[in-house]
Amino acid sequence: MLKRIIPLLIVVSIGLLTLFGHFINVEFIQDFVDNDSTQWYDIIASFAIFLGALNLIKLQSLNIIRKKKNWQYSLLAVLSFFLVIFAGFFFRGTNYVELSGIHNKEELSFIVSKLTKSPQEQILSNINSTEAEYEIPKIYMSGSSAESLLNELLPFADSGEVKQKKWGAHLNTDGSLFYWIFDYIFTPLSATMFALLAFFVASASYRAFRIRNFEATLLLVSGIILMLGRVPVGALIPAWIIGYICVLGIGAGIAPFIKNKQTFLGIILILFIINTGIAFLNGWNPEAPSFLFLPNLQNWIFTVPTAAGARAMMIGIALGIVGTSFRIITGLERSFLGE
Amino acid sequence: MDKRIITFIGIFVFIVGIYYLGNGNIFVNDKNTIFVSVIIVSLTISFYIQKARSGEEIYLRPLSALKAIEEAVGRATEMGKSVLFVPGISDMDQVETVSGMVVLGHVAEMTASYETGLNVPVSKAIVMEAARETTSEAYLRAGRPDLFYDDMVHYVTEDQFAYAAGVNGIMMREKPAACFYQGKFYAESLIFAETGNSIGAIQIAGTGSQAQIPFFVTACDYTLIGEEFFTASAYLSGKPEMLGSIKGQDIVKSLIMVSIITVLFFDVFNQIGLLNFNITKFLTF
Repeated sequence: MLKRIIPLLIVVSIGLLTLFGHFINVEFIQDFVDNDSTQWYDIIASFAIFLGALNLIKLQSLNIIRKKKNWQYSLLAVLSFFLVIFAGFFFRGTNYVELSGIHNKEELSFIVSKLTKSPQEQILSNINSTEAEYEIPKIYMSGSSAESLLNELLPFADSGEVKQKKWGAHLNTDGSLFYWIFDYIFTPLSATMFALLAFFVASASYRAFRIRNFEATLLLVSGIILMLGRVPVGALIPAWIIGYICVLGIGAGIAPFIKNKQTFLGIILILFIINTGIAFLNGWNPEAPSFLFLPNLQNWIFTVPTAAGARAMMIGIALGIVGTSFRIITGLERSFLGE
Repeated sequence: MDKRIITFIGIFVFIVGIYYLGNGNIFVNDKNTIFVSVIIVSLTISFYIQKARSGEEIYLRPLSALKAIEEAVGRATEMGKSVLFVPGISDMDQVETVSGMVVLGHVAEMTASYETGLNVPVSKAIVMEAARETTSEAYLRAGRPDLFYDDMVHYVTEDQFAYAAGVNGIMMREKPAACFYQGKFYAESLIFAETGNSIGAIQIAGTGSQAQIPFFVTACDYTLIGEEFFTASAYLSGKPEMLGSIKGQDIVKSLIMVSIITVLFFDVFNQIGLLNFNITKFLTF
């Protein structure tokens, strides 16, 4: 019983406090609503990540131990997990050389510019602006590599030593193992997944644009107008050409209702003549009439019917969120507690 | 006039009166419209909850996506395959995730009854705990606690595309017969839905993420669009008070429509000089 009541009491009281806290002019309540409550959530979520990580390791390890189907992937997951833990908590790999009392700045800047592939002038200016120690802008994962660089550069300075970036700073230091994993493994893999979207959008569009009914046709036509209107080539298509296409579209629409072919042809010819007449009167101006000019047409579709539909949906979603929040705050909705 | 209406009007006047008296001292004075709106919405929903409790029958139009849940789980059972439930990539601080948990409870109850496998990969540890609780309770309700095991709800990763890759991998390897996407989604929505489509799974989506709705509509068999998704819990519970809250929501929607039209007319008349009253200024007092 208490397993249900206590969480419910917490939800109701904190929910009411957060809602009415927006309107109460008391500093500590405002502070709780704006800062403390979100920080509490962050702290709880940070602790909860351990549960997630443990679950991941447990599940993948069991897959390996029991040699379940595709256990090799689990092995890769476990190894990657421990590699990142190692790079984040146990191995900084951010060795760099710091020199003091530099006496041959020109020569040193030449070597460093070759090493870092940066302009020599920039390096020289950095060395000149340094008052005491100069940090060579090159990070080495291993200490021995940094030591050998130090030996190479010592003739240009009075003294020097190999140092390491502080714990925590190594996560954002270009050249560290963690940064390398992020830059060369994680980012390309994420980008690959994201890039898949392009192909999925194409296949989804194909399915959506297949002409099955009036709505699908409307979607196809709007889609084509939007796509053409948003690229430079869309602006090169004269409005009167779109006018002719519209006439053909009207023809396709009315064809089933007109049985007499001569009447049908007559209507189409009249519409063609009207369109040609308008274009002639406008001096074959590619942007007139403006409502048929593709960039204007796509802009209208985007700012009027699309925006109206999207806003209607947005109001519905907002109302849904308000209704659900109300049910949660008043304790009516308890299914998230397992009820 | 109905006694209940008078009572609710009285409560409204009382609360707004207190707010007015304490305005600037106890209460902040730059959120008047928001406060009045919150009170109107809350009281309207409460009023219809009271009405439903007193036995008034409330009609809800059938939602094909919710009706299709049983069909999807049934199909998975017939094919001897599992059911995949993806609760989105947001944490429990999002209402969509909470709504997703509600649908998960319903799906889990069915998988328990049909003795079908359920796989719930999650991207947030708190969601994992909530989903486990919901699933275990659902299996208990269905009278099959023996079929529940903790790892049917498992953590994948926090990162959006790593999670998408993980779930896609599960889809391609296990080929579930039914896929549910219920929660808050971002760019990964189409990746899930198209992969599900490619393996021939029956797919039911539900989200309040406006930008992802078109993708789900295109690639899934059924989609709970926006507010339909949020009404799922009330719809599935069938409790009168929950149904009453949905009716209250619909009345609020009607009020919003009336407000939009009223504001439009007042503003147009004001701009063409037929009326000397700036409603926009009045509403943002």
